[in-house]
Amino acid sequence: MTKGSVRFENVTKAYGGVTALKPLTLEIEPGTLCTLLGPSGCGKTTTLRLIAGLESATEGKILIGGQDVTHLSATYRKVSMVFQSYALFPHMTVLENVAYGLTVKRVPKAEARSRAEAGLEMVGMKGFGARLPSELSGGQQQRVAVARAIVLEPEVLLLDEPLSNLDAKLRRHVREEIRQIQQRLGLTAVYVTHDQEEAMAVSDRIIVMKNAEIAQAGTPTDLYERPASAFIADFIGDANLLDAEVVASGTETRIRLLGEDTLLPLSSAQKGAVKMVLRPHQVQLQATQTPGTFPAEITYAAYLGNLIQYSLASEAGEIFAVAQPSAGAFKKGDNVFVGWKPEDIRLVTN
Amino acid sequence: MYKVTISALALASAMWASGAQAEQLNVVCSNEQAWCDLMAQNFMIDTGVDVAMVRKSTGEVLAQLRAEKGNPKVDVWWGGTGDPHIIAANEGLTQATGADVSGLLGWAQNMTEMTEGRAVGVHVGLLGFIYNTEVLAEKGLAVPACWRDLAKPEYKGEVQVANPNSSGTAYTELATLVQLFGEDEGYKLLSEIGANVNQYTKSGSAPVKAAARGETTIGIGFMHDMVKLKKEGFPVEIVAPCEGTGYELGAVSVVEGTPNLEAAKKWVEYVISAEGQSPGLEVGVYNIPSNPAAETDPDAPDMASVKLIDYDFATYGASETRERLLARWESDVKGAGGAIEQ
Amino acid sequence: MTRTANLWSLLGLAGFFLLPWYMAAGGFWSFGWVADPGGNGASAFTNILQGRVWLLGAGLALAAALIVSLAPLSHLARARGWLIAGVAGLTLLAGQALMILRNGSRFDLFGDVSQAGMGAGACVVALALLFIATTGISALGRGRGDAFVTGLVGLIVALVAVFVFYPMAFVLVQAFSLRGGAGLGVSEFLPRLFASENWSLACFTGRGWCGPAVNSLVLAIMTGVGTTLLGLAFALIFTRTNFGAKKFLRVLTILPIITPPFVIGLALILLFGRTGTMTEFFADLFGWEKTRWLYSIWGVWLAQMLSFTPIAFLVLIGVVEGVSPSMEEASQTLDANRWQTFRYVSLPLMRPGLANAFLLGFIESLADFGNPLVLGGNFNVLSTEIYFAIVGTVADPAKAAILSMILLFMTLGAFMVQRKWLGNKNYATVTGKADNGQHASLNPGMKWLCYGLALPWAAFTLVVYSLIVFGSFVKLWGYDHSFTLDHYKRAFAIVFRNGVHFVGSAWDSYFSTLTIAAISAPLTAAVGLATAYLLVRQKFAGKGAFEFSTMLSFAIPGTVIGVAYVMAFNFPPIELTGTAIILILVFVFRNMPVGVRGGIAAMSQLDKSLDEASITLGANSFTTLRRVILPLMGPAILAALTYSFVRAITSVSAVIFLVSARHNMATSFIVGRVENNEYGIAIAYATVLIVTMLAAILLLQALIGRRRLRRVDRVAA
Repeated sequence: MTKGSVRFENVTKAYGGVTALKPLTLEIEPGTLCTLLGPSGCGKTTTLRLIAGLESATEGKILIGGQDVTHLSATYRKVSMVFQSYALFPHMTVLENVAYGLTVKRVPKAEARSRAEAGLEMVGMKGFGARLPSELSGGQQQRVAVARAIVLEPEVLLLDEPLSNLDAKLRRHVREEIRQIQQRLGLTAVYVTHDQEEAMAVSDRIIVMKNAEIAQAGTPTDLYERPASAFIADFIGDANLLDAEVVASGTETRIRLLGEDTLLPLSSAQKGAVKMVLRPHQVQLQATQTPGTFPAEITYAAYLGNLIQYSLASEAGEIFAVAQPSAGAFKKGDNVFVGWKPEDIRLVTN
Repeated sequence: MYKVTISALALASAMWASGAQAEQLNVVCSNEQAWCDLMAQNFMIDTGVDVAMVRKSTGEVLAQLRAEKGNPKVDVWWGGTGDPHIIAANEGLTQATGADVSGLLGWAQNMTEMTEGRAVGVHVGLLGFIYNTEVLAEKGLAVPACWRDLAKPEYKGEVQVANPNSSGTAYTELATLVQLFGEDEGYKLLSEIGANVNQYTKSGSAPVKAAARGETTIGIGFMHDMVKLKKEGFPVEIVAPCEGTGYELGAVSVVEGTPNLEAAKKWVEYVISAEGQSPGLEVGVYNIPSNPAAETDPDAPDMASVKLIDYDFATYGASETRERLLARWESDVKGAGGAIEQ
Repeated sequence: MTRTANLWSLLGLAGFFLLPWYMAAGGFWSFGWVADPGGNGASAFTNILQGRVWLLGAGLALAAALIVSLAPLSHLARARGWLIAGVAGLTLLAGQALMILRNGSRFDLFGDVSQAGMGAGACVVALALLFIATTGISALGRGRGDAFVTGLVGLIVALVAVFVFYPMAFVLVQAFSLRGGAGLGVSEFLPRLFASENWSLACFTGRGWCGPAVNSLVLAIMTGVGTTLLGLAFALIFTRTNFGAKKFLRVLTILPIITPPFVIGLALILLFGRTGTMTEFFADLFGWEKTRWLYSIWGVWLAQMLSFTPIAFLVLIGVVEGVSPSMEEASQTLDANRWQTFRYVSLPLMRPGLANAFLLGFIESLADFGNPLVLGGNFNVLSTEIYFAIVGTVADPAKAAILSMILLFMTLGAFMVQRKWLGNKNYATVTGKADNGQHASLNPGMKWLCYGLALPWAAFTLVVYSLIVFGSFVKLWGYDHSFTLDHYKRAFAIVFRNGVHFVGSAWDSYFSTLTIAAISAPLTAAVGLATAYLLVRQKFAGKGAFEFSTMLSFAIPGTVIGVAYVMAFNFPPIELTGTAIILILVFVFRNMPVGVRGGIAAMSQLDKSLDEASITLGANSFTTLRRVILPLMGPAILAALTYSFVRAITSVSAVIFLVSARHNMATSFIVGRVENNEYGIAIAYATVLIVTMLAAILLLQALIGRRRLRRVDRVAA
């Protein structure tokens, strides 16, 4: 194991009788940015706080950089955290805030100062050192919080919903910066968010959590292309989930949707009820019926400039589709036929 | 903050040192502060013994002696009414000193005899009442002269006396009336006076002070307190009740188990000597000293001019009598109500 | 963590072998014991060699802890070893101390043995064993594995146990003693507890007396509500208006807190007594009958309002300041007007402060002794009844103990109600996300209401204090108003002849009062705020009980504490009577709850992520406390320091049994003078004390100052 890796072995956490984390085993590679993604209450923040040492595990073992830190208090773990609320010390100037971690480690004053200034420069906040946090904008406070965390050169950088207090444009800008800094310094970073777009944009790897356990872990592509469950398919990107049935499986899979059979280039699906995942951009709309299509009615059409969004009602349920604007665009009330390419289809169990 | 705490700790520890010092005489005094200070000062000059003095009321001293029984922190208890001294003697909290009391007045010798030498009488205080001349005139009331006068309906709401449950002074008044008129008659009179009482104060000297300031018209208490107020310039007159009155005996006792017995004995001998008692006048002490050779003030009450009862300290100082009389006072006098403001 | 355990083991062993185990004659710091290692300075080890073998247990436990640290054991086994060694050592230490006294053993179990009170050696060994045990607990993973936190919890629990519970046990046992000295028993306890003489409601239904329990409760509720409302009015004037004379008002609100007991009562008598100035004035003006209304619940209430409003103010000002302006701004942008903003946003956010202010007012009123004594008349409350049950004509310790228990139950009840009312809501308003808004100013109606409540009170206070100062310069207060400096001369004369001689009669008690107050104040603040920190920021088993036990000493009237301390600390194992230490201790543990309440209120306004940020940045709990939490708690620290300093100077009921010839206190001196009708010198002394405390408070304020959260504290016009 190398510096910066994080490993959980069957870690659980319970508050009284309430289980916050079911037995969890995970591994975060050094130098990567790994996101814990999931709806609120799924256990992602608990996991982050367990890494930080702000909570102690009920059972199991936590290793950072190969060292068992299960019983090590937060003070002595080589991790830094950026808080959702930034948690800047209101009575210290920006520079004092950034230098805080260095001064408590008894780094000489001059060195602490120059390192803190370098940290501020790295986040583009050079020259703000003498201000109080209350005199900064939200985005600036956020950068200071990041600078404060990274000047310590932690093995692991933890970020707890760091962008949730920023506006949408700023959020995209800051997340790119965070990603750049992480890559430049080769830091291991664990990032908690409930925003899947944010997660897709910054992560090397995403761990999706649900109900106090891991729902699926993988690269953004893995999760999008090969969702393991209906929950993941729906949570990562938009998806139409259509009820279907596997009637035969082998090297190819035969499914039955609305009474019609289709052969998919997928192997080893179990027989029985499944959900068919169809991404909105994979939906093909046409005015005439061809084999493998089914009828639907356009209930809503929105022109967004670069694309058109459709909502459709069909026997298979409500379908959401996007298409490139073209001369043959449909409008509300049109009767159309829905088709797809068999190679685009993924099957998930309920 | 941190440094302050450290230095405070150091200082605190430093003061630990002063706790257990070498040979000293620790006196607890139940007289007035000035008298306490003066006596200590004179004693130190005349005998060379180093005295540490603290003033506490008799009730507090008795409570403290009980709590510290077996390992006392004071050597001598000087002053205050005699009853608590007698109780302390009976409970074995104090010890006999063998001081020579033959030169003292008769009542002081009686006290020594009664307590088997544990308490020695130092002064007498006579019970009486005081009225505020201005308020009395304003209200157009007659001057009271006897205990029975206080029961007259015209004084409704004008009389103040302490609660005998908390005040030794008031207990002395209760016991005096019982001895003067007999128990049943005494309680009848008490409840009749009670009908005129505006407040049963907690402190024994409070009614006298309240009368001086006009907060009440008439107050019952000790005459030496009244003389002092009158000399200070308050518009008051002092009355020695016509039926006769009781008195308190001030005493000095040496605490059982004191490590400084010799110095304590010196103290006892000093406070019953004439040169010990005479300077009281300098600080306005107007009670009657137990040494006949001590000087007295011409304005102070003297035992010859006031009709006195033969106060039975042995009976009325005993705990059982006290409890019985006080219980009866609760039901017959306080329970009967009066002109008391709610 | 092994280093911590080793450090304490070695320290403990050093104490065991080198320091005098028993109290050294002449005191520890005189170092007289160094020259006498076999006798006066005998260490535990020497004592064992001299035959006191029962001291061996503690030493063995220390050695065991050291062996556990050095032996090749697993992490968990080591933790358990420390815990067992520490607890076993403490048990043995306490056991021998309680069983073997100065003159023989309890129940004659060990025959003819004796020992003196514990000294420096015993103290160091006990502390070492305690911290070894708590280090063991933290190594087991409790308290998030933070040895500082478990150590702090252990220390405070131990201190409260020794200096609150141990002495209180002596008193409460008395509640079960039978009449006539017939030993202990439960047969009389319940009937006496519920006796109608305590609980009578007769004064509501017609003529008759209400029980002191009922009186105390009614008075305490009135005072709690009254002081909270007035305190809030002042706090609002300070933070939400542009009132011109804030500084002057601030001084006025501090004055009553620093006034020695009895003085306010005396001033009120001179103003409103039957022959008081105001009474005469109104009687002449309107032809009113001059009555003695002052000597009743109303007089006591008035005096308590004057005395305790500043406490409510001190608690509330921090809380009102702490309400984040952005929340008020948010409300206003949601089209709420200023009244609605105040009613639905600011006021609910102040709830912890209001609840704490009420609780303090309520408890202060229950425990107040001076005002009911002077002004109570026939209105009896529990605190005075307890006092006279102890010092009265017939001493009845059982009655005192039972009344103390009633008082305790009332405090407990108030505490529970407060907890229920606050619930589990989060009141954090100082978060790590900085804001820079403006406090909403009050709407005109509220503003004038606050002015209407607070300014007459301020004027009244001013009159009372002018009168006090006036009284100290006249010959005979109330009668002869010719100017004199006599009172000051008698109390504070200094002679410059062959050096400086402090010959005034008050100097001794003045110096010892200041010294003791100056030592106890920072200790009180430290213990109180450390407790608050544990309560707000840490999770550990038994926190509720812990919180209550720290509040306990405040609820017990001073008289009872005083007697309890004398009973408990007059004999080995802990022998402190007659020293200054016992006075310091009584102040620290009596006033600590104020620090705790203030600290809790202030700390629950600090967002927890601030501490967590500090911890994850590599600071330990202690550094976090020192560099992040304490600086943000300026007002709370100031309040705790000020309050404990002032209380040490002004409290009387607990002190009266504990002052000794060597260490007399100012209040006990003043009480003596008041009893003796020497008002002049009493108030001259009081005036000097007031000026001294005022100077000290201003100094503290300058040193600690205000939190720097926003560059400017502004109030919107």
